[in-house]
Amino acid sequence: MKDKDRHVLTEAELARYERQILYRDLGREGQMRLKQSHVVVAGLGGLGCSASLHLASTGVGHITLVDSDRVELSNLNRQVLHYEEDIGEKKPFSAARKLAKLNSSIEVTPVFEKITEDNAEEIIKAADLVIDGMDNLETRFVLNKACVALGTPLIHGGVHGLLGQVTTIIPGKTPCLACMLPEVPPRRGLFPVFSVTPGVIAMLQVAEAIKVLAGFGSLLTGKMLYFNGETMDFTCRNVIRNPNCRVCGTKEIQK
Amino acid sequence: MTIKVRLHPVLQKLAGGREVIEVNGHTTSECLEKVEGRFPDIRRLIRDKRGQLRRHCRILVNCESANAHGLATAVKDGDQIDIVVLITGG
Repeated sequence: MKDKDRHVLTEAELARYERQILYRDLGREGQMRLKQSHVVVAGLGGLGCSASLHLASTGVGHITLVDSDRVELSNLNRQVLHYEEDIGEKKPFSAARKLAKLNSSIEVTPVFEKITEDNAEEIIKAADLVIDGMDNLETRFVLNKACVALGTPLIHGGVHGLLGQVTTIIPGKTPCLACMLPEVPPRRGLFPVFSVTPGVIAMLQVAEAIKVLAGFGSLLTGKMLYFNGETMDFTCRNVIRNPNCRVCGTKEIQK
Repeated sequence: MTIKVRLHPVLQKLAGGREVIEVNGHTTSECLEKVEGRFPDIRRLIRDKRGQLRRHCRILVNCESANAHGLATAVKDGDQIDIVVLITGG
């Protein structure tokens, strides 16, 4: 993106995003905020692929893609940014190539790294928001801790089979993941998953991200939305902040 | 002595749509068995063939983990037990 274009919507952008700019609560101003936003997508699996695809098409100006895995054949049933020709390729680079073809006006940064306690804050420090596309709880908790430490909104998503869940974590205002689960359970092996479940959950994560970044609408803050694709139920449950939470318990609660 | 057992949303259908089931019991284990006795489908979902709690299920007592104590955590009137099903894939 040229510097002179950073603070205006170009003719091409106005045309590309015309239909969403028509949405009154977004408008040109909201579209500009999306353009100036930086989102880190942590994990380029089922959730991360679908989420980053739609963040890019919506016009989020800078997307950083983080994953430490390479594409495998068994990923292709749900990880929609990786194709047969990408097998063996580093996932962030495979995904970045597709996003660049979809929307060349945004900046995409691939990061081939495993998120750890040591690097998590460094990876997300420049981000306005983080999308949780992790495939295990251990790394999710690392991400959660880093987001709470930096005050960065985290849109959590999780899937298993035809079940999914999503919530929006605003550090200092809402419960964090550690409030909801006081311990990190042992890592599990392969989990069953269809393509549709991360598709549904990632779309909800992106919807939350757009509202957080552009500043409109109601959020899934303090609420976990559960999706059951087998019974086609959506259920929302309140989640409460744990004042003794090992991660956010000492953070002052903002009104 | 009434203990509230709160079911994870994915378990509620197996209990006729109930979110909270009230039972009597002195330990987490006792309370869970009463819930599972009334709703055997819940037992099938949260226990393996040997009767062990499945790894994707966590039990909280008043928002604190009870798994580490082998479900022997003592409970008292007014306590709340949560059965949580982890949805952790991506």
